[in-house]
Amino acid sequence: MPDIWGIAAIFAKLMLYIGIAGSTGLVIIRLSFPYLVSPLSDRIRIQAVVLAGFAIAAAVFGFMLRGAALTGGADGMTDPEMLGLLWQTPVGDVLVYRVAGAALLIAGMFIPRFGTWVSLAGGTIALWSFAKIGHVPDLQQAGVRLLLLLHLLGIAFWIGILGPLRNLSRQSEHLDKAALLGHRFGRAAAVIVPVLILAGLLMAWQLLGDLGALVSTGYGQALLIKLVLVGVVLTLAAANKFRFVPAMQAGDSKAAQHLARSIEIETAVILLVLAATATLTSVLTLPN
Amino acid sequence: MKKLATFALMTFLATSAFAHSRVDTTMPENGAVITEAPTEISFNFAADIRLTRVDMLHQDDPSVQLDLGDQTSFGRVFTLPLEGMGVGTYRIEWRGLGSDGHAMQGEFSFTVE
Repeated sequence: MPDIWGIAAIFAKLMLYIGIAGSTGLVIIRLSFPYLVSPLSDRIRIQAVVLAGFAIAAAVFGFMLRGAALTGGADGMTDPEMLGLLWQTPVGDVLVYRVAGAALLIAGMFIPRFGTWVSLAGGTIALWSFAKIGHVPDLQQAGVRLLLLLHLLGIAFWIGILGPLRNLSRQSEHLDKAALLGHRFGRAAAVIVPVLILAGLLMAWQLLGDLGALVSTGYGQALLIKLVLVGVVLTLAAANKFRFVPAMQAGDSKAAQHLARSIEIETAVILLVLAATATLTSVLTLPN
Repeated sequence: MKKLATFALMTFLATSAFAHSRVDTTMPENGAVITEAPTEISFNFAADIRLTRVDMLHQDDPSVQLDLGDQTSFGRVFTLPLEGMGVGTYRIEWRGLGSDGHAMQGEFSFTVE
């Protein structure tokens, strides 16, 4: 059982995931479907900025919490010696990547024309930080790091669609756009999801070594819970793609309400998936 | 949904694989029973670590923070002076930083009879 600092680290990591994946996802959606999400342009910009700000706060807080883990008390959060020590390790490097990446993402949101591309670069830098520290870089394989970045970009894309698709589905004057956005996303997801799953399974195989570790170790069990939750998300997504979106395209306004509700449930389960991941990456050791 | 969240959280928190503690050997050994309190304790780690805090707990006495002295760099072997507090069980709790940035922690205990 992790101590209070371990539990706080899990929550800080969860906030970080929400901030970085959420803001980068919105940027990707804005770039991928500019016309379809144009009614939400201002809203998306504000949400992306707020989420990126959230990511910066979570990154700094997470860094300070690591200081506390070194002394076993809250004093470590502001202890210059502890924070200075951490700064010299990869923990300091990833703090720079996360803060600089999120700041670049925010800046891009205020630059006209090519600003969204600047934001995407910022989001990618912040996402790349996860390939710089933790269990995956411990494997010492550049290919697996790239796989992780690909996995994270896919997840960000998925998380990014949730808010805009739900909002458009709730606005009766934009139902046609919502239906088309759902359809286009579904088409992209048909390619992205298998890659996402394949990348996830490859990384899990690399990290775990064998299937037995999936049930016999704490890390494996948490990963198993994550996989079950991902299964729930995929089921909901399949219902959206094959049932609600086609019905919306046929002009069924009730289907839009069902879609919005389904997205809300999907978001809640995705939060649980992220919480499982935060636990995996924060306090659980890999089976040796 | 709330039930699901609570279940998931409880399952994660009940998992016992926490820590990145890779201490190889200690002196005295974990669980050792000795006749005289040692004047120093030592750690031998499997990988480089920078110790950040070591506490000694003896019976019901308040915990004592041990002085790391000038051992404030990364290494594998650390020896700290110990002021004996007579017979009883001693528990040594340590925390440190791995060179990869991982926080590490662990403990060992010994008994003086």
